Amino acid sequence: MNTTVTVTKRLVNSFEQLAPGHRACLGCGEALAVRLVGKALGQNVIIVSATGCMEIISSQYPFTSWEVPWIHTLFENASAVASGIEAGIRALSRKGEFNEKTKVVAMGGDGATSDIGLQALSGALERRHNFIYICYDNEAYMNTGVQRSSATPYGASTTTSPASKITIGQTTWKKNMPAIVAAHDVPYVATACASYPFDLMSKVQKAMNVDGPSYIHILSVCPTGWRSSTESVIGLGRLAVRTGIFPLYEIEDGRYKLNMQMDKLHPVEEYLKQQGRFRHLSPEVIASIQTRVNADYAKLKEKATRS
Amino acid sequence: MNGQQTTEFRWHGRGGQGAVTSAEMIALAAIEEGKFAQAFPSFGPERRGAPVLAFNRVHDSIPIKIRSGVTNPDVVVVLDPGLLTIIDVMAGLKENGVLVINSPKSLSELKKDYSGPWNLAVVDATKIARKELGVPIVNTTMLGAVVKAVGIIKLESLNGPIKEHFGARAPSNITAAREAYEQTQIAPPVKTMPKRVEVLEVLPSWQEILPGCVVTSPGSAKQYRTGDWRSKYTDFDYSRCIKCGLCYIFCPEGCIEQRPDGYFESNKYYCKGCGICATECPKEVISMIEEAS
Amino acid sequence: MKRIGMEGSLAIAEAAKAAHVDVVAAYPITPQTHIVEKLAELVATGELKADYIPVESEHSAMSACLGSCAVGARTFTATAGQGLELMHEVLYVASSMRLPIIMVVVNRSLSAPLSVWGDHSDVMAVRDCGWIQMFAENVQQAYDLTLCAFKIGEDHSVLFPVMVHVDGFHLSHVIEPYFVLNQEDIDGFIPPYRYPYALNPAKPVTLGAFGPPNVYTEAKKAQEVALLSTKKVILNTWTQFKKLSGRSYNPVEVYKTDDADVALMTMGSFSETAMLAIDSLRSQGLKVGLVRLRLWRPFPFDELRAAVSNLSTLIVFDRAISSGGPPGPVASEIRSALYPMKTRPKVVSFIGGLGGRDVTVQAFEKLIKKGIEKAKADQLTDYEMIEVRGQ
Repeated sequence: MNTTVTVTKRLVNSFEQLAPGHRACLGCGEALAVRLVGKALGQNVIIVSATGCMEIISSQYPFTSWEVPWIHTLFENASAVASGIEAGIRALSRKGEFNEKTKVVAMGGDGATSDIGLQALSGALERRHNFIYICYDNEAYMNTGVQRSSATPYGASTTTSPASKITIGQTTWKKNMPAIVAAHDVPYVATACASYPFDLMSKVQKAMNVDGPSYIHILSVCPTGWRSSTESVIGLGRLAVRTGIFPLYEIEDGRYKLNMQMDKLHPVEEYLKQQGRFRHLSPEVIASIQTRVNADYAKLKEKATRS
Repeated sequence: MNGQQTTEFRWHGRGGQGAVTSAEMIALAAIEEGKFAQAFPSFGPERRGAPVLAFNRVHDSIPIKIRSGVTNPDVVVVLDPGLLTIIDVMAGLKENGVLVINSPKSLSELKKDYSGPWNLAVVDATKIARKELGVPIVNTTMLGAVVKAVGIIKLESLNGPIKEHFGARAPSNITAAREAYEQTQIAPPVKTMPKRVEVLEVLPSWQEILPGCVVTSPGSAKQYRTGDWRSKYTDFDYSRCIKCGLCYIFCPEGCIEQRPDGYFESNKYYCKGCGICATECPKEVISMIEEAS
Repeated sequence: MKRIGMEGSLAIAEAAKAAHVDVVAAYPITPQTHIVEKLAELVATGELKADYIPVESEHSAMSACLGSCAVGARTFTATAGQGLELMHEVLYVASSMRLPIIMVVVNRSLSAPLSVWGDHSDVMAVRDCGWIQMFAENVQQAYDLTLCAFKIGEDHSVLFPVMVHVDGFHLSHVIEPYFVLNQEDIDGFIPPYRYPYALNPAKPVTLGAFGPPNVYTEAKKAQEVALLSTKKVILNTWTQFKKLSGRSYNPVEVYKTDDADVALMTMGSFSETAMLAIDSLRSQGLKVGLVRLRLWRPFPFDELRAAVSNLSTLIVFDRAISSGGPPGPVASEIRSALYPMKTRPKVVSFIGGLGGRDVTVQAFEKLIKKGIEKAKADQLTDYEMIEVRGQ
């Protein structure tokens, strides 16, 4: 039986899905998110991982950090592999050969989700497989050395969107993955961040109870790629939320719901200035980011009000 | 060292400390002098904080064709003193070679543990780097110590490559390297071998590999001691602790455990020293202490 | 055993149904469509209690197969040409992770120019992907070999995926009579699938760990030894199948080679046409025979050497090009396999039947005669593309 640990008067599953001894960078916000997700999932799961940081840091043969059944095959196909597992479970449980309650959970980074694996994800969502997809978004290809992805924020300097005298680095706005997923009409979509661990875990538990596809997009602070200090990981995550850059919300059966009512957003500069990847940004660019964040947040609020 | 033979270097550092850049600077300085040289990293999945390797080869007049890793180095450089107790840095080091260590300890203190049939060179590069660069990143500082101890490359030859790589930050890096050059102390070889770190690595034969490389022991990577990556450790002062558990919930390693008395502590076998728990503790129970101190 | 007339694709679907597949994940592509349409229909009507995943690409088809096979479900798919190429990287994962997925490949040429018609370009591009691969020559064989594939691949001493190659249109779209086995016989022949390392929370395993340089070589050695040793099970399975059906299968099949001096080598559906050419040439007094590769991987070195040891000339007919290389990929492999023999036949290379181009009995006769001439003239360093317009 699982035991619990009391954290600020709340009971938390003591089960660690990802055993200590994993090889993530020190202060890895993504490993922390995986750990929290595991506490909410419990043990009756099968995890499908895309290629990426979390795969490399946890599965160096002949050892594994995983305490639950786990499979990795390729970069772009986690959703398709999950589709097969889910169908397999359905077929086998019809014959009484498998526990039909076992939940399939696919996971990938922002590249595996919003770039190379988008087609497979879209297919699996459209076919309405009963699975959870979790995007651990650290906003670039960190595993290969901080190259830009379609989830890299505007103005960030990465190794393939380097800032220079004539460019600010990434010149496109972050792809809105939750909206793309929501457009598939799935029952449950949520954003989360490890800086809000109880919010994150309750969303994962909600997803566990959905019959059909669900999607959780977790912003994962990456001190290595964001060029920020390791001890400020949780604080940066909080700022991402409080500035409105990464708001926490849910989309349940198409209805938007904001999880934190923020009447006044923190200035984006507070968040940007703590990260080396934004250090080159001029006050004008920061102001333009502020304008866009304000507008996007207003749109989100509007959607939540209409829902 | 003699430039008429190939001099082989092995650098020991941690992911993020710039060992690869150090090796590159040595190679570029040698090339600038008209010599032949190569620098290459040990390609691996290791992350920021994990022990990593980088290599050099230098020859005065003959192109270097060998591409394999350096297993019998003439020069071993240790950027992080914490690595000395977890890695056999002396493995394969040639007789009359050089072991260059960054350490706050004096040469006489280090001699008993690290002197062997090689020259032992020591400098407190961390102190110099803090003073000159404001950060404890020693990869350029250590270049000065290496030039001094090895003697096949001129100190001035580093200036060009450092300027090219560091731009505006080059002058302080050049100063740091020069200071290290001046402060490096060297002890001659002795006949006795020091005690070595035993590193046991058991790898399966092909017959032992299960079909598809399946791993049937869940969580077996627990044997891997990520605590070796740490440069700072946690110190808990329970007098202020309210047992809230926030340190536990925010630990990326999952290495903070609750004791029977309800207090939390970090498992040193795994703790990488990120400092998140210390930052997030509402009662300032936890402080981060430099390992080397 | 009942004798019925049926299209090749439907017979293959019937074989998959008779094997009680649990999951079919497939993406439609000509000329494979009739197989998966039939399976989808069987699932829709409840005749086959399986899950059909209509994936959005072949890459996902093979990926979904990895998943269902790894959770312990019997898994089947089919593809062709471009689809096989889109699966390419996933194929290596299936064999390296030892997941016994069964796939029928309806052989098709590769673009460009776009061609939905048959040849062996797709097969040759996946030669080295680590699957067990075999060729069928007619509808009966396509049905039989599909059934055998489940028993071979899922055997615990094998655990490799299996491809059954059938020629696009010539087999997939042809109606022929074939014998259907009784369901009880099939059930006795193919035991239930039990994957020994299945993903299951009751006993967690990690599948797909990454291999640093200090283990990758050992992993590949283990895989290669295992693949080569699958031949025992393949032969046993075919022996058992013969008892059940009366039909025998061998890694290398021969036709009228006992007293032959020259033989033609083919793979797939053109073999039966070639037999007629052999008969015709024999009636003209030529001592010729036919050698066919049934088992493509693991390559049947011993059987091939035994089959050709008394020949002076072996004329290899390829339906693919190894561009810029030794043009006939099969001829190239045959030369390599025969090279260590003290006495070996001269190997002459022809390429034809590309992109659905017909090869008639007369064309085969012409080709064999030309091959004999070339061998006599020791003209062995080049190759010839047959039935091509222009000088």
